[in-house]
Amino acid sequence: MWKVCKYTLIDLARNRFALGYALLLLVITVGLFMLEPDNTKALITLTQVVLALTPLLALVFTIIWYFNQYEFTVLLAVQPLPRAAITRAQYIAVSTALVLSFLLGVGLPLMAWAPGPVAFTLLLTGSALTLVFCALGLWIAVRQRDRARAVGIGLATWVTMMLLYDTLLLWIMFTFSDRPIEPLIIPLAALNPIDLSRILIMLRIDLAALLGYTGAVYQQFFGSGGGMLASAAALLLWALVPAALATRAFARKDL
Amino acid sequence: MDRIVIEGLGKRYGRQWALRGVNARFAPGEVVMVIGPNGSGKTTLIKCLLGLVHATEGGIVVSGKPVGKDPSYRAGIGYMPQLAEFPRELTVEQLLRMMNDIRDARSGSSDDRLINLLGVDALLDKRISALSGGMRQKVSAVLAFRYRPEILVLDEPTAGLDPVSAGKLLDAVMRARREGATVIITSHIMEEVQRLGDRVVYMEDGRLRFTLPPELIAEATGEKSLSAALPKYIAQLPPQHVEGL
Repeated sequence: MWKVCKYTLIDLARNRFALGYALLLLVITVGLFMLEPDNTKALITLTQVVLALTPLLALVFTIIWYFNQYEFTVLLAVQPLPRAAITRAQYIAVSTALVLSFLLGVGLPLMAWAPGPVAFTLLLTGSALTLVFCALGLWIAVRQRDRARAVGIGLATWVTMMLLYDTLLLWIMFTFSDRPIEPLIIPLAALNPIDLSRILIMLRIDLAALLGYTGAVYQQFFGSGGGMLASAAALLLWALVPAALATRAFARKDL
Repeated sequence: MDRIVIEGLGKRYGRQWALRGVNARFAPGEVVMVIGPNGSGKTTLIKCLLGLVHATEGGIVVSGKPVGKDPSYRAGIGYMPQLAEFPRELTVEQLLRMMNDIRDARSGSSDDRLINLLGVDALLDKRISALSGGMRQKVSAVLAFRYRPEILVLDEPTAGLDPVSAGKLLDAVMRARREGATVIITSHIMEEVQRLGDRVVYMEDGRLRFTLPPELIAEATGEKSLSAALPKYIAQLPPQHVEGL
């Protein structure tokens, strides 16, 4: 597995998209800190950019990369290698390349302008989101035969997690606003990795106070050690389950 | 002893059988040419042998090992696909090293003759993205032959190659045959089939219609060239004739 992973990483290190992604994030982050004198405001804007951009690009890049590599993947599947090792190696390589691009593009300016626990949480959740959406992208790509259809499903997944899921949560909260549903919202938020990441970062920026009772419930749960562990476990599961499903689907697939 | 034994092989996609009731045996040191019209099941047959497609029924045994979940049997297989695609940003040398690492090949254990013969030695420091389709085909040929495989599977190997390189590749096929390899080639070029093939496997509608030496096909029809003999031979077959049933 590590042999395939090593050479895939060498290939990805010279990949224009991965380099362009790092550059884009670098320009956005540096631009935000240079234009906004208040670092907290810049961090809030950067959080929104990271939460939107990181999942989208990780999903789309992984899907397109998988289809571009398909003929070579078939050649690898003819070598004396278990298929599971090929998928695992590809997942580790792609997600590592994108996490490094993210850390380069966002991490370097963050360390220069606003080092601290908020920046650390933003980098950690951004990296976790990259791992999650690379796994989802790989799962989608392995299950589809048509590239355009796979990209379409990827975009629909992103729209669902970025917009539709939040709309649904808001609808639930407004509809049942006269009842104590906040404890129900916590597990519902954890079911969406983007929402989970948003809550974790917002709590660090201390914006929870603006959210009233819901914010207090979030603070009570996610602010505690157990809550942090549960969040980390949820994000880890969000990465591991789709990656395992992609591995299983590839092992059973007719190539 | 047969190197490849195919018994009752069938593959179904949805309700459509791409391959049905295929029985065949291939020996060491023979070149088998798999031919047939488009959609006849040639590619599915080869993909089943390579373990790329999972059989719906029947099975294949390669050098005594069943084709299945254990990938170790593929250490003895060299494969040249019709379309050669590699990671675009790797150099040819890095690609060769990657395959060496995957195969755990130590220096000296691989066969580098084709690297020099096809001029791939001049491409070693070039990135794959800088290579033409023909050059990638040459690299693909080198990879297929490099680990002295017991079984060579070549899918339209000369497509996209210049005539000189195609000639050298076919010479390499004959050399591999002399050294005891079982060579399975799909081709639409009848001159190639006649020149190389010890046996012709003819597929149609997912069935193996016959396996015969090319000279017997020519003899049976009174034609000298296989391209003239084959249509005549197929026309005189009973419509339901299927070998092995």
